[in-house]
Amino acid sequence: MAWLVLRRALWAIPVLWVVATVTFILVRVVPGGPFDAEKNLPPGIVANIKAKYHLDRPVAEQYLLYLGRLSRGDLGVSYKYANRTVNDILSDAFPVSVQLGAMALAIAVLAGVPLGTVAAVRRGRLLDFACMTLSTVGISVPSFLVGALLIYLLGIWLKALPVALWESPRHMILPALTLSFLPCAYVARLTRASVLEVMQKDWVRTARSKGLSPAVTIVKHVLRNSLVPVVTILGPLTAVLITGSFTVEYIFAVPGMGRFFITAVINRDYDLIMATSLIFALILIVSNTLVDIAYTFLDPKIRLEH
Amino acid sequence: MRFLSALAAAFLLSACSATPKGPEPGTLRMNIGAEPPSLDWGVTTDSTSFDVISNLQVGLTQYNGSLQCAPACAERWEVLDGGRRYVFHLRGDVLWSDGRRLKASDFEEAWKRLLDPRTGAQYAYYLYDIENAFAFNTGRIKSGDAVGVKALDDRTLEVRLKRPAAYFIYLTAFCPSYPIRKDVIDRWGDRWTEPEHIVTNGPFLLKDWKHEYKIELAANPLYFEGEPDLKKIKMFMVAEQSTAFALYENDELDYVDNRSFSTPDVERCRSSPQYHNVPLLRNNYIGFNVTRKPFDDRRVRLAFTQAVDRRVFPAILRRNELPAASWIPPQLPGYAPDSGPPYNPERARQLLAAAGYPAGAGFPVVELLYPNREDTRLVVEEIQDQLKRNLNVRIELVAQEWKVYLETLHRDPPPMFRNSWGADYPDPETFMNLFTTYNGNNSTRWSSSVYDRLIEAAEAEQDAGRRADLYRRADRLLCRQEAPIVCTYLSTQNLMVKPWVHGMEFNSLDIQFFKGVTVR
Repeated sequence: MAWLVLRRALWAIPVLWVVATVTFILVRVVPGGPFDAEKNLPPGIVANIKAKYHLDRPVAEQYLLYLGRLSRGDLGVSYKYANRTVNDILSDAFPVSVQLGAMALAIAVLAGVPLGTVAAVRRGRLLDFACMTLSTVGISVPSFLVGALLIYLLGIWLKALPVALWESPRHMILPALTLSFLPCAYVARLTRASVLEVMQKDWVRTARSKGLSPAVTIVKHVLRNSLVPVVTILGPLTAVLITGSFTVEYIFAVPGMGRFFITAVINRDYDLIMATSLIFALILIVSNTLVDIAYTFLDPKIRLEH
Repeated sequence: MRFLSALAAAFLLSACSATPKGPEPGTLRMNIGAEPPSLDWGVTTDSTSFDVISNLQVGLTQYNGSLQCAPACAERWEVLDGGRRYVFHLRGDVLWSDGRRLKASDFEEAWKRLLDPRTGAQYAYYLYDIENAFAFNTGRIKSGDAVGVKALDDRTLEVRLKRPAAYFIYLTAFCPSYPIRKDVIDRWGDRWTEPEHIVTNGPFLLKDWKHEYKIELAANPLYFEGEPDLKKIKMFMVAEQSTAFALYENDELDYVDNRSFSTPDVERCRSSPQYHNVPLLRNNYIGFNVTRKPFDDRRVRLAFTQAVDRRVFPAILRRNELPAASWIPPQLPGYAPDSGPPYNPERARQLLAAAGYPAGAGFPVVELLYPNREDTRLVVEEIQDQLKRNLNVRIELVAQEWKVYLETLHRDPPPMFRNSWGADYPDPETFMNLFTTYNGNNSTRWSSSVYDRLIEAAEAEQDAGRRADLYRRADRLLCRQEAPIVCTYLSTQNLMVKPWVHGMEFNSLDIQFFKGVTVR
């Protein structure tokens, strides 16, 4: 396992370099710059600002400067937030997003797997129909609508939970629930399909004929073997939940980093765009590595070396 | 299933422990919509930052209720040498939040820092009227010593202008001109604006700043006009309008403005006693690139400007906008109701025919560029429709993302574009200078030596009546005789204020001062 982690860590370097390079080129190709504003600045002032941020140097030099800083862990400066570095911004926002993403992921798995399993066991019955309707709704209804409904229902109408903001653990419930809706639906559908497939296997029939109860067969044997595809999508799902919660963070005024994926581009805040792309790539690499490790626990036939 | 029932139980439990809602006496809770890009008043340029800074810091002068410059750090000032020299006399009792007395050199250092090319300050050009300011900012002279701002002693500041500029006094109430503590900035560098380092002299202190989430201000016991009644201000950064409005309706915010107020909510709450509407000094217009056909012909431009019925805009935008046909807004000197063109489709058709396009025949399809936003889309669609109906011409609407739009506008303006301009100070100059030949924001590329001379004369004129008259003539030339732009409407600020908030004042510059507010 240590070998796997080491190999992935080494591979991460060229991957991140490619991501950095492609993003670097793309942000400079897009028309409009960080200092284009409603009130157009006199040329002398633009020159001063560009000099301050080294944007007056040739692009190749800017690229080398950037890579140099990156190798020292310096993600650069924000042009929009003049007194803060990208490291400052992300170190404030990233933990919030991780917290929100982790809660949503937990809800998604803890609710999605049982829902999917129940649906599979009760295939074709009312319960199956209900679970799958719920998950279809979860997949097709956008999160801003789910969020607005929850705000109205639990925040304004029942006054049970805070409408928004990020003040106490109670404030975290609505955003986490909203964010978990879609992944929960995915997990439920995937679990159902997978459980159904495994239930057709000969060894399941053998287990049942040996006299094992249906509950034990499902929980001990079927479920464990059905989870491989579910775990597979947890990797990308984690990355998306941590970084892609823009809508939910926006609706509930959560100070996470999801917003920067959008606003950094709108503001042409070059270094911040680079940093968000790199972080997304990094989370993807890490979570996929964790998923690969999890495989070996679920299915001993999968060997990490292969 | 068990998990779901646990979740349901959690909801029920939390229902029992719901937080009490209602006023927090002595605390104002509001939404500023976004993270202020910077609280360094020498660097920042946006209204969110200014909303915070205006309550942390005061300059030489401050706006009173009618937006005139009243004494602040300066107790009086003299305008000498025909408007070329200003001498400010400072109060002796203004203290910084660390207890040090305010000195005239704090202003000198602030203005020289703003002009120093290494600061990279965007608003440095506001001080270009000062002697040698331009040369220093653009690197033509290396030292700031020759710049015409000087502390004669601890309580006297002298400013020498390169030419008389009647609007100059307004700049002394504008955030970028506020004094700084150079020792604090030198010590903490870029981090000097964090709550643990910042030193200010205004009615409130920066107590806490949770980035991207909340700023907390507290009353300043050392404030020279006396500690404000309001003990605390919580400024949340809720970007989503409907969320912020829900917080207001749940009594978790005490007042909301456009940033938290969607158009359907404005419609729903318009008759509430909590609702207020203030026309702003922000004028919206359609510009023509007069170097491009067919708008190089003055008659075509005049036809267009007379073919637009401005009365419809409030009905479309539904925020009580004020239709405007002239460029100077009614709140400012120089405004005259007849400076703008009348709505006269018949005359417009005659003008278009005289330009060679009878009933719109042979008129090319022209592009109208606009930034991709809901409100601007509604406006340009209406204009497209009116021009089709009244002149039988075809306008093609082109939407661009904000920054792309700005770059297009600055680099290569299309034949028509939608734009707006907000005042930096309450004087016609801030609007009228925009269409001078030398203004970098004049995307119409229209150039008139008559207009330029009128503006230059108005800038130098010290008599208020004669000055207003010069601007009035320039406004008439711009809107009614030459028409490089079609003025459309003035934007408005829409607000809701809870009944327990008292002393809230609104102004057309959209700067919010909270020192006189109480919450009971």
